[in-house]
Amino acid sequence: MKRFYILLGKLIVKVLQLLGKNAGNLPGGILWTLTRHKCVSLFDVRCPIIAVTGTNGKTSVTNYVTKLFSQDGVKIITNKAGNNLDTGICSLLLQHCNWKGQVDADYLILETDESHVPVVYSQLKLETLVVLNFFRDQLDRNGEVETLILKINAFCKTFTGNLILNGDDPNTARLGQANPENKNVKYFHVEPYANATAELFEAGEGRFCPFCGSALKYDYYQYSHIGKFACPECGYGTHTPYLTASDIDLQKPSFRIGENTYTPALNSIYHVYNMTAVAAVARLYNIDNGILADAVSNYTVKNGRMEAFTLGENPAVLNLAKNPVGANMTLRVMNEMPGEKELLFVLNDNIADGLDVSWIWDINFSVFERVTRVVTSGTRAHDIAVRIKCSGYDASRIIVRPQLDEAVEEFNRTAGQKFVIANYTAVQPTRSALKRYIEKHGGAANEAD
Amino acid sequence: MKPIKILHMYADMLDLYGDSGNMEILQYRCKMRDIPCEIDHYSRTSEVPDFSRYDLIYLGGGADLEQQILSTDLPRCSDGLKKAYADGVFFLMICGGYQLMGQYYRDADGHDLPGVGLFDYHTIAPNSRRKRCIGNIVVQTEITGEPLDIIGFENHGGQTSGVTSPFGRVRCGNGNCFQSDIEGYCEKNVIATYLHGPLLAKNPKLADYILEYCLRRHEDAPAFLAPLDDTLENECREVMLERLLKK
Repeated sequence: MKRFYILLGKLIVKVLQLLGKNAGNLPGGILWTLTRHKCVSLFDVRCPIIAVTGTNGKTSVTNYVTKLFSQDGVKIITNKAGNNLDTGICSLLLQHCNWKGQVDADYLILETDESHVPVVYSQLKLETLVVLNFFRDQLDRNGEVETLILKINAFCKTFTGNLILNGDDPNTARLGQANPENKNVKYFHVEPYANATAELFEAGEGRFCPFCGSALKYDYYQYSHIGKFACPECGYGTHTPYLTASDIDLQKPSFRIGENTYTPALNSIYHVYNMTAVAAVARLYNIDNGILADAVSNYTVKNGRMEAFTLGENPAVLNLAKNPVGANMTLRVMNEMPGEKELLFVLNDNIADGLDVSWIWDINFSVFERVTRVVTSGTRAHDIAVRIKCSGYDASRIIVRPQLDEAVEEFNRTAGQKFVIANYTAVQPTRSALKRYIEKHGGAANEAD
Repeated sequence: MKPIKILHMYADMLDLYGDSGNMEILQYRCKMRDIPCEIDHYSRTSEVPDFSRYDLIYLGGGADLEQQILSTDLPRCSDGLKKAYADGVFFLMICGGYQLMGQYYRDADGHDLPGVGLFDYHTIAPNSRRKRCIGNIVVQTEITGEPLDIIGFENHGGQTSGVTSPFGRVRCGNGNCFQSDIEGYCEKNVIATYLHGPLLAKNPKLADYILEYCLRRHEDAPAFLAPLDDTLENECREVMLERLLKK
């Protein structure tokens, strides 16, 4: 039966490819139904599997880790584009297995949706799990953050592989105690950067100790609830880091791990955390420092993550923000840009975004600096306009254009620096609209991989 | 003019789904009218305040864990809250806050968390955490004296019953229980509801009803609220009502 499913799946992939369609999820979806939700168990994987999960940064870190392992003659299978549910991973493996379901690769490096970690890795043997962070994100899909953490925690109770955890996130570090037998738990840590604060600055999750319920004490907050924390009652949070990033300088930008200095391609603290996670994987697998340093300085993921465009004459940056933490980080980056700028915010409420747009009220818009005009677009263009208005921003400088091409035209009616924020399903349509504008009015797009 | 005084309870714990936005909206609508407005906070480490000194007491929604933690703190506030309610202080409660002011909340594992017992209703969460009322919701309320469509987003497992005077009739969505006709609980000085969005974002008239109620408690208050330019809010309402009701 198993071989029949594999052949059927491969056939569906071929047909979809012949039709010019994306085979990212559908083949896996069909097998998921046929196998009674065990579609990943069809495969025979003998090579190490490294999985990356967490609310923010999965796609980036997965791409960087893949870059670390990408040497001549090494075959890696990875879901670069982020089909990260069991069905997406099944569709991916169908394209790389033989008719017996045997997968031919040296490494599987898989971005995995938080809620699907237990699903996928109860069926495939996982060697290393990297957990970046847990924030409120798409609450109506994932349920409350706590429910999600409990699911992964249940998985970690029996997991004995490498567990690389963000030691500065109380929601993530707690997974290190799920299985006291597991000696392979490794925490990464980042020393405070210049804009770290003594008080919580943005909406955060997990202000209370998950073990005893006491309020956690912080030496500093880097952003949201990420920082140096400890529980004054039970001592949770006093773990020793496996790896520490220090001397964080976002102006250069640079940071140091041990004796080595790195110059990351992006200048946000959020990116430094991602790079520290990548460095932890590099240390674990004894990857040469030259390879790590090269990936950190020279590699960028061009998929709407701080992607540069020139719209006519106007320089523009597009960044994805699918939850308050991502959006607050993006606003910080925008504010740190010198001079005046205009903002285009594209907000959709499609299923993959989470239907609930309440999260935009957890974005701290009161920090706006030198933002001279705001254009809003997307299926919830009006909601984000109201949100920005109620933060105290002058309503007469907010223009609502739900249709994207109209919004981009309106946005570029004036000259100057442009900043574009789009949520999950809005990113690709926004990139396309920016490119259509460039075709019509000139400029340049940073071509994606 | 004496300021409108608001007590935001457990802002550090009950703050899911942008519920703090309601405070930002009330502050914004006061500021645009030069009405002073002060927001105090109460959390587990605070001393128990005189709740009756406030015009409005506000509680947002929270996750199960946080609700458990604060159900142990609520008993020390219970008498003060009951007195404030009797003194006519306005109570605005969202989701978890709504549930905790009732008789009890039975969580998905069958554990009962006692409520403050201010109102008669109680809430029972289904055994499965997957069963939740999730989606856009429109309820029609008459709290302002005329039918008013309230637009928001519900996301709750708990099923609330024993409600004698609901906040509104459900026009689209679930309400207090799966496929319920009614949503929330209200009295002239109480709005308890499952609506996030946050509640007041797309419902400026409801925000003004609450502010007017608060102002009328002051002797030196103006007779009516100056109108504000709600063009963006009204356009937002039109788009959503069109989408949700004309299916």
